[in-house]
Amino acid sequence: MLKTMIQLAKMQFNHYNIYKSNFYLFTLNRIVEIIVYIFVWQAIYNQTGNAGGFTLSQMITYYILATAFSSIALWGINQTMAHSIRNGQINKELLNPLSYFQYYFGLNLGELAFAVVIGFASFTLCAIFWKLALPVNFLDFILCILVILLGIPVTFFIQIIVGTVGFYTNSIWGMQILRKAVIKIFSGIIAPISLFPIWFQNISKFLPFKELIYTPINIWLGKMPYNEILFVIIKQIIWAVILYIIAKIFFKHAVKNLTINGG
Amino acid sequence: MRILDNISLYFSLLKISLKEILIYRIDCIVGIISQLVVQLVSLIFIFVVFENTENIAGWNFQQILLLFGVTRIPIGIAGYCFDALYDIGPKYIRNGDFDKILLRPVHPLLSIIGDSRQFVSIADFFIGLAITIYMLIQLSIPITALLIIKIIFFSIIGALIVGAINTIFSISSFWTYRSNEVIWSFYRMYTFTEYPITIYNKFIRILITIILPFAFVSYYPTMAYLGLNNYIVYLSPIIAIILWIIAVKLWDLALNKYRSTGN
Repeated sequence: MLKTMIQLAKMQFNHYNIYKSNFYLFTLNRIVEIIVYIFVWQAIYNQTGNAGGFTLSQMITYYILATAFSSIALWGINQTMAHSIRNGQINKELLNPLSYFQYYFGLNLGELAFAVVIGFASFTLCAIFWKLALPVNFLDFILCILVILLGIPVTFFIQIIVGTVGFYTNSIWGMQILRKAVIKIFSGIIAPISLFPIWFQNISKFLPFKELIYTPINIWLGKMPYNEILFVIIKQIIWAVILYIIAKIFFKHAVKNLTINGG
Repeated sequence: MRILDNISLYFSLLKISLKEILIYRIDCIVGIISQLVVQLVSLIFIFVVFENTENIAGWNFQQILLLFGVTRIPIGIAGYCFDALYDIGPKYIRNGDFDKILLRPVHPLLSIIGDSRQFVSIADFFIGLAITIYMLIQLSIPITALLIIKIIFFSIIGALIVGAINTIFSISSFWTYRSNEVIWSFYRMYTFTEYPITIYNKFIRILITIILPFAFVSYYPTMAYLGLNNYIVYLSPIIAIILWIIAVKLWDLALNKYRSTGN
């Protein structure tokens, strides 16, 4: 099973890799995205010198890491899923010896592998232009990676839920944009959560999105006490289970009512 | 005469594509809502920034929001009118439909542009308009007939500048068969103009005033509305005309080199 999933991941990865231009363009996009943020903050630091307890170099590091991690948080398979629902390919996928969720998790891993490559490339390129703050010790780095890995099931089940909407609506690009916007707002891609108003911080404490970007970066910067990290890890596992149950029930219901176009 | 014919043809093509959107009505509503959410993401960043500072490069909160509003209006128009340029690769060239367009008695560029139907951009347009008007009132700038004419004129000119730049980059799809990503990368740079260009370094300033003159789409018009600089903005019609001449010439040149995907 694991072998099949890795094979699927490789397949999906190669799907991106066919067009070498993809790699350069995606990396370019990532960098263009952060330029605005970094220059705006630079302008502010030139006036005030400090914002929300971040030094300028920490802030720049924050945004560079945020973009590097953002593709891991945002990419996924719901587009592929919706596509296969629309053209009837889902028929075959449901009859696979591999369960539907496993099949797509394999594809999702391939997608994320490409996201990691892009993230790494944009991180390296940014490191040439700006000075970065590196993690203080190795443990912080490991914990940072661990929290990101724990985010993968969370984003995957959200992908499945959004993809399943495609069973009812034929096309999910609106939902897709909505999903991305919600993650962007609550994960801290826009700005460190600690700079938001208190009520917003309280909401984001309960949602799983902060742990995709904001928390790992704070761990990287050494701003997070270890007992809180433990709490975060437990929280992510609970969220993964909750979302798995929702995805499972929703998907079962959707398949029961499935009508296939020309299947 | 030929130009007038082309324009009326363009509008009838636009009408057809408007009808096409209405087929997917739910999609369209979801799309508009999600566009609102996307704008919210940019606005949240502005709000967060101003929690931590009084002004950016001398521009206060209302002025920055006015600039934001002004950037959205032309991008809304351009998105609606020139959207199909994104799809030249996947929608026309890869499946051979492009050859059909070449056989029509009108310029292929016109056929493609007339196919645009990015309904979502209408949301962009209205958000921009609402913010612009609201901020003009907040800044107690008198809304005279002259100002209204100026806003309408420069918004259309701005849309034309964006359209011309998109046209130029859409040429890449003749070779890559997938123009969308290339345009997207350059289109992203448009977000640079959501802030006063004085915050950027020299390289980016040259990039967005001379190489990709996005600054003339929104930044200089906003300066004129605010009364900060009244004259540079009158360069933008000239820039629009020059860009369109370049765009059409380059497009024709590329068209001569075009080889079908061989259907």
